[in-house]
Amino acid sequence: MERVNSLWKRRFLRSSSIVVLAVAWEWGARMHFVSDFLLPSLSSVLIRLWDDVISGEILTGLGLTLLRTLAGFSMAAVAGIIIGVTIARFRAVRWFFDPIVSIGNPLPKIAFLPIFILWFGVFDWSKIAMVAFSAVFPVIVATWAATENVDKFMLWSAESLGCTRRQMLWQIILPASMPEVFTGLQIALPVSLIVVIICEMTMGGEGLGGTMMTSMRFADSPGVFSGIVAIAIVGSLVVKFMEIVRHRLLVWHQESNV
Amino acid sequence: MPNNVFTRYLPLLLLAILWEIGPRLHWVDPSELPPLSAVGRAWWSLLMDGDLWINGVSSFINWFFGLGSAIIIGVLLGVLMARSQTIDDIASPLVKALYPMPKSALIPVMILWLGLGAGSKIASISLSCLLPVILSAYNGARGVDQTLIWSARACGATDRELLWEVVLPAALPEILAGIRNAVAISFIVLVASELLVGQRGLGYLISFLGEGGVYDAMFAVVVTVSALGFFADRAYLFFMRRTLLWRE
Amino acid sequence: MNETIFGAGSMTGNGIVFGQVTHTYRPQRGRPVLALDGVSLEVKEREFVALLGPSGCGKSTLLYLLGGFMPIESGTITVGGKAVTAPGPDRGIVFQNYSLFPWKTVKQNVLYGLEKQRKPKAEREQRAQELIELVHLKGFEDSYPSQLSGGMKQRVAIARTLAIDPVTLLMDEPFGALDAQTRTLMHEELLAIMRRTPKTCVFVTHDVREAVYLADRVAVMTSRPGRIKEIVDTKPSNGISRADYINTPEFTEKVDYLWNLVRDEAIRAQEAH
Repeated sequence: MERVNSLWKRRFLRSSSIVVLAVAWEWGARMHFVSDFLLPSLSSVLIRLWDDVISGEILTGLGLTLLRTLAGFSMAAVAGIIIGVTIARFRAVRWFFDPIVSIGNPLPKIAFLPIFILWFGVFDWSKIAMVAFSAVFPVIVATWAATENVDKFMLWSAESLGCTRRQMLWQIILPASMPEVFTGLQIALPVSLIVVIICEMTMGGEGLGGTMMTSMRFADSPGVFSGIVAIAIVGSLVVKFMEIVRHRLLVWHQESNV
Repeated sequence: MPNNVFTRYLPLLLLAILWEIGPRLHWVDPSELPPLSAVGRAWWSLLMDGDLWINGVSSFINWFFGLGSAIIIGVLLGVLMARSQTIDDIASPLVKALYPMPKSALIPVMILWLGLGAGSKIASISLSCLLPVILSAYNGARGVDQTLIWSARACGATDRELLWEVVLPAALPEILAGIRNAVAISFIVLVASELLVGQRGLGYLISFLGEGGVYDAMFAVVVTVSALGFFADRAYLFFMRRTLLWRE
Repeated sequence: MNETIFGAGSMTGNGIVFGQVTHTYRPQRGRPVLALDGVSLEVKEREFVALLGPSGCGKSTLLYLLGGFMPIESGTITVGGKAVTAPGPDRGIVFQNYSLFPWKTVKQNVLYGLEKQRKPKAEREQRAQELIELVHLKGFEDSYPSQLSGGMKQRVAIARTLAIDPVTLLMDEPFGALDAQTRTLMHEELLAIMRRTPKTCVFVTHDVREAVYLADRVAVMTSRPGRIKEIVDTKPSNGISRADYINTPEFTEKVDYLWNLVRDEAIRAQEAH
């Protein structure tokens, strides 16, 4: 009996904390504990978000932000996997990229933003290039480690069963390293989103980050808050999407059977 | 051995040479990529003028307090969540809901709340770094082998001793890995918040020089910030290996 | 106080009594499973009893309950007449996965329990050194567990447990992860230690030969739900040493007899799946 009670208590606590926070936000704002400017009420933020959805403003911004993210991310994914695989297979490639990757990976690449603006202008290309540059390193590192650490007994088994060297890459090495490569991609995608939003905030213009920055400059606090809510939702949807894709792609992997 | 180091880093040397002669021979426009030597000279004069120091110290203060507070609060909260079912039930839905949020979006809200000064930057860094630290401490403390806790209990350890002598050390590898993530995020948010607004800091210096068209100096500061980020990571890695020597 | 911790209570009865212990395992998801069903067993002072059974018969659960690590839902367990409610230094335990503190050296591991007893430093140091020598690890005091082999790790775990001089020693398949040669050596070592510092010992295993070789009595458990199926006396009958015991027909007979009991249970467990 006590167990049943505690189970209900847990369910209650788990579901309640977000609700309580939302209610506290709305109530606190309405009681004017802080000024409307610092904390607009939750309802006014949601109404603002809804208005922006109806007017289509947020969809344009959302579309642009996602387009830039995905363009940069796909470039980083393709380039990162190719570089990672070739590093693991060819000594000359490894010689060239090893110091570059080991220095480039921990670099705060966001500092290069003004340089990218200088080179590619303030429109889409500089943002996409910045995303690709920031997101490529985790993919390279993950692919390199994964392809190099494929179980050697599996390679030997494949060889003795008649797998040629050319087939080895596509049929054994790449599938075997998929879980780790995908982990790299799962790190790279949120990075892409963070970087896109910084780029948009710095350069202004359309896109979720730019809109949020404009709202801030005009001291339009419901606009700032509806912006962060929209961005938070996009962030969780993107992460969730990657988890679903991973689950679909890696059905054979033991992690999917838990 | 020196020969080995030389061949290892030869590609970087080649890139540096390319950087020098490319703009000089006008393969690329020198106004878009000033030759390395010009960047070096600009760096030296920034150093002598004190610009690098003043802005560097300002950035360092923001970084130090932002990251430091995130580590202290994050580890405490994460371990508490792992050890107390009630705190876990209350906090983990929030942590899980906020974790995937692109951290950079916090910056405008913090500016709205705390103004254009150091406060908003410290708060942005702290909040951005908080979630990865909480999550690593939580996972680390939850993953402590049950028999390890039982062994300590059988020796007569109290709850508090259990926390300090068993749970925390056992969770340390994961906590330290989480902090390494946080260090990387702290640099991104620091530079981004200084690029966006402010009157001080290395990020501010980069955007100021860029807007003024002083590109050789801008490149010099970008290289400086990159080097600082790189060495912070390496120093941390060294510290982490020393601390976890028992793992082998 | 001193009686229960250090004196090994040689005057009073320090046996263990399990009375009608029942335990239900409740996984986070899925149906509850009855793991132990009315287990009653008496272990006399300084007796070595092995709990033998197929995997999943609840023998480790019984040991964890005795250790006080899990709440006893129904039934009683007493040690020296006192009911078990929480873990305590009167019951030392050795786990299969060694459970050493990986961030502490061999010596720091052995010292841990002694520090908890607030003994004077000189005494702690001396006792730790004695135990490290007892388990033949002199020279490895400052090594970390990650630098030791499996057998050495388990010897550290045994030393750590013996250091606090528990009245009873609980062992949860302590040699299950070791290779065959090391296991044989560890058996001899454990018997030698038990001769020098006699203790009440409950030893969980699924290795029939190990049980017969080490124990005075072997309690065979049924597969899920765990009950005591039969208790077999395995003490060498004519006072011969354990080392010679292994070559006697008596030993082989006991092993065969127990093997058949366990085999039936293992088959039953598979069919139940």
